[in-house]
Amino acid sequence: MSENTTDAKRPVKRSEVSKLRWTWQEMKNNKTAYFMLAPFLLLFLIFTVLPVVLSVFLSFTDFNMLEMPNLKGIQNYLDLFLNDEIFILACQNTLIFACVTGPVSYILALLVAWFINELPPKIRAVVTLVFYAPSISGNAYLIWKTLFSSDSYGWANAVLMKYGFISSPILWFQDASYVMPLCIVVALWTSLGTAFLSFIAGLQTIDRSLYEAAAVDGIKNRWQELWYITLPTMRPQLMFGAVLAITNSFGFGAVVDALCGFPSVDYAAHTIMHHLSDYGGARYEIGYASAIAVLLFIVMISANFVVKKALSKVGE
Amino acid sequence: MKNKLFQRVVCLILSVTLLSGSIGLTASAASLKVDTTGEEKYPYSASTLEEMQDLVGTLSYDEYLASFGGTNEMGAGVISVDVLDVIEGNGVLVSASDACLNSMNDYPELWSGFGAENADKSVYLPSQGSTTWKVDVSNAAAGLYYLKIEYYTPETSESSISSIERKLKIDGKIPFDEVSTVKFDKNWQYDNIDVVTSDAVGEPDSYNVEYTDKDGAYKRITTSVRNGVKTVTTYTLSQDINGNSMAPSPSALPSWSTTYVKDHSGYYTGYFSFYFAYGSHTITLEAEREPMIIKSMELVPADNTSAIPSYEQYIENYKANGLYTPAANGSIIEIQAEFPDLVSDSSVAPTNDNSSAVNEPISSSAQLYNVIGENSYSSVGQWAAYKFQVTESGLYNLGMRFNQSTLQGMFVCRTIKLSGGAYGLADGSPTIPFAEAYNTTFNYDKNWQSEYLGADVTRTAQDGTTYTEREDFLFYFEEGVEYTLYLECSLGTLKSYIQRVEDSLAKINSCYLNILQLTGTDPDEYRDYNFVKIMPEVLVTLLEEAVTLMEVKEGLEVLCGTNGSHIATLETVAILLNTMGKNNGDEIAVNLSQLKSYLGTLGTWINDSKLGSMKVDSIWVVPAEQDGEAFTAKEKSLPRANANFFQTCWHEIKSFVSSFFVEYDQMGLTTEIDEDTHKIDVWLATGRDQSQIWRSMVDAHGGFTYNTGTAVSLKLVTAGTLLPSILSGKGPDVYMGLGAADVINYAIRNAIIGIGGEGVDPVFTTERYTYRDAEGNYTTTTEYQGETNLTFVTKPFNNVIEGNFADAAMDTVTLLNTSYGIPQTMAFAMMFYRMDVLANLGLEVPESWDQLLSVLPVLQSNNMSIGVSYISALDFMIYQLGGSMWKYTDETKYSSEYAGARIDLDSNVALEAFNFTCRLYTDYSFPVSFDAANRFRTGEIPIIISDYATLYNTLVVYATEIEGLWEFCSLPGSKRADGSFNYDSLAGITANVILHGCDDLVSAWQFTQWSTGSEAQSTYGNKMVALIGPSAKYETANLSAINNLSWTASEKEAIMNQMEHLSSIVNYPGSYIITRYTQFAFLDAVNDSVDPQDAMTGYIEAINTEIARKREEFGLWVPANSEDEPPELSATPID
Repeated sequence: MSENTTDAKRPVKRSEVSKLRWTWQEMKNNKTAYFMLAPFLLLFLIFTVLPVVLSVFLSFTDFNMLEMPNLKGIQNYLDLFLNDEIFILACQNTLIFACVTGPVSYILALLVAWFINELPPKIRAVVTLVFYAPSISGNAYLIWKTLFSSDSYGWANAVLMKYGFISSPILWFQDASYVMPLCIVVALWTSLGTAFLSFIAGLQTIDRSLYEAAAVDGIKNRWQELWYITLPTMRPQLMFGAVLAITNSFGFGAVVDALCGFPSVDYAAHTIMHHLSDYGGARYEIGYASAIAVLLFIVMISANFVVKKALSKVGE
Repeated sequence: MKNKLFQRVVCLILSVTLLSGSIGLTASAASLKVDTTGEEKYPYSASTLEEMQDLVGTLSYDEYLASFGGTNEMGAGVISVDVLDVIEGNGVLVSASDACLNSMNDYPELWSGFGAENADKSVYLPSQGSTTWKVDVSNAAAGLYYLKIEYYTPETSESSISSIERKLKIDGKIPFDEVSTVKFDKNWQYDNIDVVTSDAVGEPDSYNVEYTDKDGAYKRITTSVRNGVKTVTTYTLSQDINGNSMAPSPSALPSWSTTYVKDHSGYYTGYFSFYFAYGSHTITLEAEREPMIIKSMELVPADNTSAIPSYEQYIENYKANGLYTPAANGSIIEIQAEFPDLVSDSSVAPTNDNSSAVNEPISSSAQLYNVIGENSYSSVGQWAAYKFQVTESGLYNLGMRFNQSTLQGMFVCRTIKLSGGAYGLADGSPTIPFAEAYNTTFNYDKNWQSEYLGADVTRTAQDGTTYTEREDFLFYFEEGVEYTLYLECSLGTLKSYIQRVEDSLAKINSCYLNILQLTGTDPDEYRDYNFVKIMPEVLVTLLEEAVTLMEVKEGLEVLCGTNGSHIATLETVAILLNTMGKNNGDEIAVNLSQLKSYLGTLGTWINDSKLGSMKVDSIWVVPAEQDGEAFTAKEKSLPRANANFFQTCWHEIKSFVSSFFVEYDQMGLTTEIDEDTHKIDVWLATGRDQSQIWRSMVDAHGGFTYNTGTAVSLKLVTAGTLLPSILSGKGPDVYMGLGAADVINYAIRNAIIGIGGEGVDPVFTTERYTYRDAEGNYTTTTEYQGETNLTFVTKPFNNVIEGNFADAAMDTVTLLNTSYGIPQTMAFAMMFYRMDVLANLGLEVPESWDQLLSVLPVLQSNNMSIGVSYISALDFMIYQLGGSMWKYTDETKYSSEYAGARIDLDSNVALEAFNFTCRLYTDYSFPVSFDAANRFRTGEIPIIISDYATLYNTLVVYATEIEGLWEFCSLPGSKRADGSFNYDSLAGITANVILHGCDDLVSAWQFTQWSTGSEAQSTYGNKMVALIGPSAKYETANLSAINNLSWTASEKEAIMNQMEHLSSIVNYPGSYIITRYTQFAFLDAVNDSVDPQDAMTGYIEAINTEIARKREEFGLWVPANSEDEPPELSATPID
């Protein structure tokens, strides 16, 4: 059969048609799959993609939630960088926060998962629950509020006063010098969440034969095993955990609100997220808030990109 | 001679003055009250030191009796007090009282039971003030007396939802603590009872009860034929369009009653006896709540011989009188408990319970009222009464299907009282048939129970020894007689135990305060405080009370037969007390904070034990079964206690499925809304109870819909819903209870319609009249057509607010001379103080900040403090000192567009205020953060400045053990630069607003003014108290509504006085930033010891920048630079 003979049954070659047509063709062929995908896709588009696009648009307006928006160009962004000292402060806080809690919680999750994985299955299940509990039990971090209550009967104050370290109660969550460290501690405490679970899952899926092969190939110790076998094998889980760590540490806000009130004293724990809700909620300046959101989005995406690059180096 | 008398009098006066001067602080406090002319008087004279000391020094009843050496000297003969001869006070003859005469004129039906002839024979006692009578006791008659009072419960303009309360004084003093509040029952009846009588000549006598559920209502119909008269009594629980029951409204049933002065706390079962010595005495009734009418007052010799018979004697009496007979053919009478005939107060109400599938009636989709009780029918003294007849004379048992699942391991008690036939007094007042009826017990079970009413009764065995045994009570009922069964919450045999714990708590608390004075709140556990030398009595008390608590615990265990967690609490406390008291008190320091928390635990324990909370589904009158000589309760005649497995499953499945279809936001809607009717959407973001009350008020006969013809769709939403709904154009027409800051936020963004000021829609400035014709059609016109059929007058804005709302309240919802809402609630801070603590320390209630600070060292030397929330102090201090938050607000100097263009916190006055407030927390060590209710309860912070309704509501239910020991009054005042004092508190407002997009402005405006009007507001406030209890006091913004709310006379006076001294912070654009930065500045000063003025000035520019940014957004005037001032108006005002 010659190449030129037209045959309806012959599969279309990728090189013969434009990319668009090719995609369309493929979609037609796999229409069942797309049909199955449709409900999620629809919801995803409406509730995730659309808002992101909308907020990019709104960030160029002066929308106030109640009246029609007017276009303002890049004025919001100019204000943000040139006129808004608190935004700069918020950026600084967010970075400190993200740089401390992000990597620490990530590494902590990984190490804890690695250790727990060594335990016998039954004990492992119990210990996993213990570590995971703070993040599933909703507002459990509120116990920190009792622990570090400003009242002289708060636990920390009571203990410190009892042993004579202080004579009058410290206003823990209302004192600029304590707010940030305390919030970081609480964040770390709650951070052993989904990422930690996915690491455990990742560790379980590793093919044991790889270790045997590696042993034959001359692996010397557990660290080498971890670096050359374990981590590269569970790279998808590592990626997942990293994305979560980034979004969590950049989007950290609710805990600070609950513990320190809004805004925190002297903006000591004021993050970009808070700045966003300050303008979006209290001041009804959705346009400006959108600009902040867009920036935060860009920062997160880039952090993501960096982490991805870093992870690809794992095991090399 | 005369001269000498004069000298003596002068000497006497002088010596008294000197004596009182020696109290020390009294004099110094008094000297501070310099009465400069033009100076503002302290708005509310709080209790004086003397009054507080009197109160604290009052004896308890036991001590009072003991003070006469436990005398058995009974009075001789009844002594009548001539009540018409009022020697002092404001009691007047009914025929001379305007309040009564007006009420008689306007509502003759409320006086039908009064009897016209009594108008000249009885005295009206208003809801405020006191009345004093004189009584002479002859030499031979001296002794103990009961006090018997015949009274009428009038409904006049002074009446509200509360019960009648009076303070009883004999010879000008409260004889003992328990009569510092004497309660007089009012009878309440639900408006759902309808009685029709007709002739039924020739018909045989009969009695029949049936329950039906048709025509959209659940009914009990009782048909009784007696002597040719047929009486049909219909009780109706009406339903909304979805089949949910709607609360019937209780109304007071004015009536005559006779009562002896007795205890309302439940600790003493008999009547109080008072000792009257030979001579002339005065008896005073001082009003606390509600007006009353008194016809007679008698001193009846206390008599301990005619005690109530024991159950055994009572049965013997039956046997002796030939009444120990069966009612063999009598039929079982079923009384559904949700239909009480009379109730003791308006909160005893039917309610819905779907916890069991065999509750009668039950619905899986709707909320039908099918039980009575739970929380609203649990305090001592509350009762519900049921009328019934039997079809054959003989002995009956009473059965009940109930659920008592709150007091674990314990029982709750009801006192059975009966009236009718041979039971009760001649005037129809009920009595207790036998002593054991005091403690009819209902045991704990997490499930429902069907039991006969009974208790442990004492019996005498053949050999003369006595033993106790649970017995189902027998009652003799005669055919054709109407009996009324009263079930009254009581403490029964628990009372002595609870009383001991309460005494114990008081003693431990005073120990705690004693220790606290030595060690402070954080004792050093390594220091030897030498308690055994300094306060040996405290150690003894601790050990004694440990023993007492253990005894009570053991006693309760025997009584209840179990040892649930509730009882075990006592043991825990006892162990701690024992530890602390042992070893010369070495363990006290370590355990002091634990003791503090246990004090709270004990208080809660007492509260819980006193609440006899249970749900009652039905009551059954069952003929007793003859068993040889004796009678026993008929088995299997009571309904099933619990549903079987399949019934439960089926019920739960149905409930689950129907939960998808029930329209919860239509709760209480009675008419389907069709196209033609005027209709408005009203949203509110409160609780379900609150929204149901509004619903019932809108739908009531004579309610909003009836008067205006406008249907209201009332929706309960969550607080954050309004903003998105406006955004999407699906918002309501009227929103109730929007915070003042949001009112301005929405208004400035054109989401709310301006209703007052210049240029508003003419709807808000025109008077309109709504007429309702015979067919029920409504016309609303601007022309007045006479009073006939006039149902609603829509007043213009200015008339609506005139005199009803404080200026301070209106200011917060006004922007640029336009008002955007009518205030609904108004919160403000007042000063709460512990009278007992102040009295013990000999301190007057401070009237100014200077006095407050002069009191502080005394408190602090006793390790106590003063509690003020810094957030509110920062604000009100500025206004008290005559400053303002904003610049350019003076209307005579600046045009309104400039108001609020800058912050005025950098003015001298504001900085001084800020400095003063910060120093309270730094120099004077006020606690910055504290748990107000707890520390007030223990007395560590005996003076607290807090929002009045919030703290009041908390204390009323949370700290019942200090009931009557605290009061609240106006804030202390600040001395302004010109020497005058100012007592202002700051008003916080929520308002009702009309939103843009509303297309029926007239109806929306009618609703707004109706709902904020004094009538609706007082009805709402009273219904809240009726439904939820005394802890649901409502802080209405309507000044004229306060009068009708159920505060006591003195509380009312205090609130109304503070209402005359209010300021507010107006919400100009950018106002949110102020609180933020003032708090930052404050915390800088407190945490880092920054100079307060420097701290504040450092934030001024940031605040002004933010304000300028916000004003620019709305196109308002913004100062171009820091020197730029707005132009002043010409000196002469333009007319």
